[in-house]
Amino acid sequence: MDTAQALVMLMQGWGIIGALVAAVFLVIGIDRIDEDAQGAYIFRPLLIPGVLLIWPLVLWRWWQIESDAAAWAARYRPVRASYGPAVVLMSLGIIVIVIAGLSVRQSWPDEIAPVQLSAGADQ
Amino acid sequence: MSVKYTPVQWNANKWFYDAIMLASVAAFLWVFLYLTPQFDPATNPQIHNARAFGACAFVMLSVILCIGPLARLDRRFLPLLYNRRHFGVMTAFVAMTHAGYILNWYFNFSSSDKYVGLLYANSSFGQIAGFPFEIFGIFALICLLVLAATSHDFWLKFLTPPVWKRLHYLIYAAYFAVAAHISLGILQDQQNHIFTVLFMLGAGAVIVLHIAAWLAERRAPAAAKDGAWHEVAHSSDFKEGFAKIATLPNGDRVAVFLMEGKLSAIANACAHQNGPLGEGKIIDCLVTCPWHGFQYDVRSGRSPAPFTEKVPTYRIRLENGMVEVHPDANPPGTYVEPVEIVSQAPLMGEPA
Amino acid sequence: MSEKPFFVGYLPAPGPLRGFLILISVLLIAGLGTAGYLMGAAQDDPGPGAFRFDYGRQTVTGVVEMTPYPVIHVVEGNDRIKPGDSFMMTAGGKSGVDSRAMPLNGQLAQVSGIVLERGDLYMMQLRGGRNGLRAAEGDAPDIAAEPQGRWQLTGEICDGKCLAGAMRPGRGLAHKACANLCLLGDVPPIFVSSQPVLGTEFLLVTGPQGTRLPRDAYDYVAQFITAEGNITKRGDLLVWEIEPDTIRLAGEDLE
Repeated sequence: MDTAQALVMLMQGWGIIGALVAAVFLVIGIDRIDEDAQGAYIFRPLLIPGVLLIWPLVLWRWWQIESDAAAWAARYRPVRASYGPAVVLMSLGIIVIVIAGLSVRQSWPDEIAPVQLSAGADQ
Repeated sequence: MSVKYTPVQWNANKWFYDAIMLASVAAFLWVFLYLTPQFDPATNPQIHNARAFGACAFVMLSVILCIGPLARLDRRFLPLLYNRRHFGVMTAFVAMTHAGYILNWYFNFSSSDKYVGLLYANSSFGQIAGFPFEIFGIFALICLLVLAATSHDFWLKFLTPPVWKRLHYLIYAAYFAVAAHISLGILQDQQNHIFTVLFMLGAGAVIVLHIAAWLAERRAPAAAKDGAWHEVAHSSDFKEGFAKIATLPNGDRVAVFLMEGKLSAIANACAHQNGPLGEGKIIDCLVTCPWHGFQYDVRSGRSPAPFTEKVPTYRIRLENGMVEVHPDANPPGTYVEPVEIVSQAPLMGEPA
Repeated sequence: MSEKPFFVGYLPAPGPLRGFLILISVLLIAGLGTAGYLMGAAQDDPGPGAFRFDYGRQTVTGVVEMTPYPVIHVVEGNDRIKPGDSFMMTAGGKSGVDSRAMPLNGQLAQVSGIVLERGDLYMMQLRGGRNGLRAAEGDAPDIAAEPQGRWQLTGEICDGKCLAGAMRPGRGLAHKACANLCLLGDVPPIFVSSQPVLGTEFLLVTGPQGTRLPRDAYDYVAQFITAEGNITKRGDLLVWEIEPDTIRLAGEDLE
């Protein structure tokens, strides 16, 4: 119960920080780091859920762009190498969990009868 | 591809795509909710709804996950990839509706907060049967929400395609979590095995297609020898308006296009979503990406004005009829003089 | 490869591709519709439990007994609930009536509410406050507890309220978290026996020596188990005092 309450509070905290980041980023930051966003306002509310969820990533990229820290070539390097491991892991995981799930599946034990182990006081 | 962002850049194909997608989802939900036989006393409407939306989200997710490998294996499926993000966003909404019905029914009406109740009511983490399978559903839902919330093109440009793509690899974790959620949840109870069979067919299709696409990808020719210049293909192998793709020793891919008898080399990764430019073709003197139709001047790697996308270019030369590129990419948008193919047999012209 | 039609999203789809795309569209709509039917039709019958609003509000008088879950032994019934009947009680939502019933333990009380019924199991969801449960005038007869011996039973621990019809379906592993939440809220737990025992398949299940269902047993809620414990007949209700260290999954041998 305490853990659950702590987790819910953690999520609320995450969302509150995300809301602050969203406010600053969508009002000030986005104009500084993306020329295509300058003068474009209608699409910005669409970005709020994303910032709420992944605000640490937003802050990291914002800093990277502001400080020109990322090498341009990285943008053109597709992540092909991870595809194989990702789909193999997913496939194996699904197969294992389905087999595990079906192997512990129970059916209603209507063939097992109640057994009286000792008599009652007045029987 | 716009100079200024808009919420959605609509076009006829997107309207058509969304109409078909919404019609499919509506068909599923309507048939499930209203056309299937009802019991007396009936299953609670809230549970019936939760099941309909949950099953629908699973089916949608399976369809979405099949589109990628299908398009890899058969290019005719590429149009299904084009607006897949709307399909994904819709799936997140359907999954959220499922979660809402569950939360407001199974976890409501108690003295504790329903979110807290959701997390603590079942703490049997040490067992498979009876495991709190809701956790898997929560994880999958969070993944779907992250993916849906970051589906606007702004995020691609902002995060860069590789980071965005890595983030969107969460879909595989989410699909596993959905399979676990189903296996340890409804599959434990359901006496009628039709759902079990359909579930395994859906997950099986996703697995088989992805493994097949991965194996097909692996069979593609790997990087050849090291050296300053890298061989791509013989000049006579090129076809007007199309490209040959080569993998450089560092793993980067380069697309060498033949346009009007001249060769130019650009990065194979589109600036938008790292789509395979080399599988595109030249339309109106512009390389056109097969995924979302982003276009580039093949000589400079620049999108035509007013667009601002740029891809790296590569130096290129002809050695005894062999086309070679230099593995060091030029910064995006660098003009490179095209190399004319001379003293060749007549080109295999492309009539289209 | 180059002869194949090339699709660009913002341009009209090339002719040869159109037929293919229309076919895929039709297949998708038909496929999802069919999947919707098959998945919807594959749902199991949730069983006969339900709120009996059609009976109307029931008001009877009886003796309150904490077993430790509150039970009422009817002394003065009505046309549906007869004297001599015993039934369990809950409050609205996922909560029991322990705090209201405890001060009245062993005394005569009037209860009023809506019946939940599943086969020969029924319980009452009481109205709020004193409208649902209040002391009644008169002497409370003694309710004899009749020990029925020690039994090994096989079946499922459920929360009594959902099982009796508050939720349809109200049992099984997909419903386990909800059942736990009900039990934590003092809704009486019920054991559904694989076969009738002493004439009924539903028993109120408690811990040993009149304690509440121990938390150890919560891991087994909604699973099919075998366990041992004493059965006592209180009024016409069977109470099984489950011994947590004897619980094992049905079909498994005791270690």
